[in-house]
Amino acid sequence: MTSQLAEDAGAETSPREEARGRQADLKPKNNRAWFLVLPVVVSVAFTAVIPLMTVVNFSVQDIFTPTDRIFVGLDWFRSISRDPEVRAAFLRTLLFSAQVLLVEIPLGVAIAVCMPRRGVSVSVALVVVALPLLIPWNVVGTIWQIFARGDIGLGGWTINNVLGIGFNYTLDSTDAWITVLLMDVWHWTPLVALLAYAGLRSIPDPYFQAAQIDAASAWATFRHIQLPRLRGVLTIAVLLRFMDSFMIYTEPFVVTGGGPGNATSFLSILLSKIAVGQFDLGPAGAFSLLYFLIVQIISYVFFTVLTRSGR
Amino acid sequence: MLEWMVWTPPTALVFAGLVLLLTGMAVWGRLSPPVARRGFLRIETDRGDRLYIGLISAAVVLAGWIALTDLSMWLALGCALLVALVIGIWG
Repeated sequence: MTSQLAEDAGAETSPREEARGRQADLKPKNNRAWFLVLPVVVSVAFTAVIPLMTVVNFSVQDIFTPTDRIFVGLDWFRSISRDPEVRAAFLRTLLFSAQVLLVEIPLGVAIAVCMPRRGVSVSVALVVVALPLLIPWNVVGTIWQIFARGDIGLGGWTINNVLGIGFNYTLDSTDAWITVLLMDVWHWTPLVALLAYAGLRSIPDPYFQAAQIDAASAWATFRHIQLPRLRGVLTIAVLLRFMDSFMIYTEPFVVTGGGPGNATSFLSILLSKIAVGQFDLGPAGAFSLLYFLIVQIISYVFFTVLTRSGR
Repeated sequence: MLEWMVWTPPTALVFAGLVLLLTGMAVWGRLSPPVARRGFLRIETDRGDRLYIGLISAAVVLAGWIALTDLSMWLALGCALLVALVIGIWG
């Protein structure tokens, strides 16, 4: 009898508690915190969305003045997407990005592996490695423009007079390409190295102790412990370096100005030539939208790989 | 005030359509919250993700069409909408 009572009591309280829990779930949430996002929405609208809408409007018109303009439909998209110069610049930019990734990612990881793990030398190494990242783009361009010159630049002079190899980035397109590539490697490999270093430092010690017990070689430790644990940061590094190199503008503009000929005229340099140099707003608008579409797709693919690879 | 944006009726229509689409999705999301699932794209997506992927794919179809063929752009629009629809439903 007592147990029956106790059971009844239990049966009585549990639904009530359940209902209380359900009530807590159903209680309307205060969503007013969303208004705190408003400043971001407004600033993004002013700096990105409205200008982008204007570019879309540019891309379907031939504009002489704001009042004197002709609607041309998709003509600019047709002419830009079939322009041999634009297609060549696209392939050139893609090749440049691929080379940047092929050099910078392995080199960055190698630097990170070689960097000291403890002691005073850590800070010294970090500062030295991070130094190129602190230099503004146009200054990097100026440094390399002078450094690679055959007459007064240390690098250019050494290659010409000590190594005896003819090197002139203002006349030879291969030399210009190498100069721009080396400059990007010098400027941005530190970013990959720092990301990889942070990734390496986050691996718990027991992994290395276990490797030591198994008498694993340095290569085996790298291949089976360090590299798999670097996957996340390396995906970020690849994404950042790809996007940055695909949109590179300032450094090649300062060093070569897109030349000699068209050798280093990447998409961004060609675009700015059309938009700012020739002031052809219609073709430039269509060009930017196609460029934006490519960047958008690649970013989304990387983002998806980055965030959903675990699922 | 908006003269500097050099609006044309077609672009205004496109953007109005986009705004309507996003508002519609927001209201729909409020009425029945989206559920993530896996389709032929092999990644987990909810209907907003599929809308985004569909719109981008439609833009790729249009851009590819205009770069490669001289056939009517209305046909391209049809194909693009079809692609967006297929991704939206089975993606």
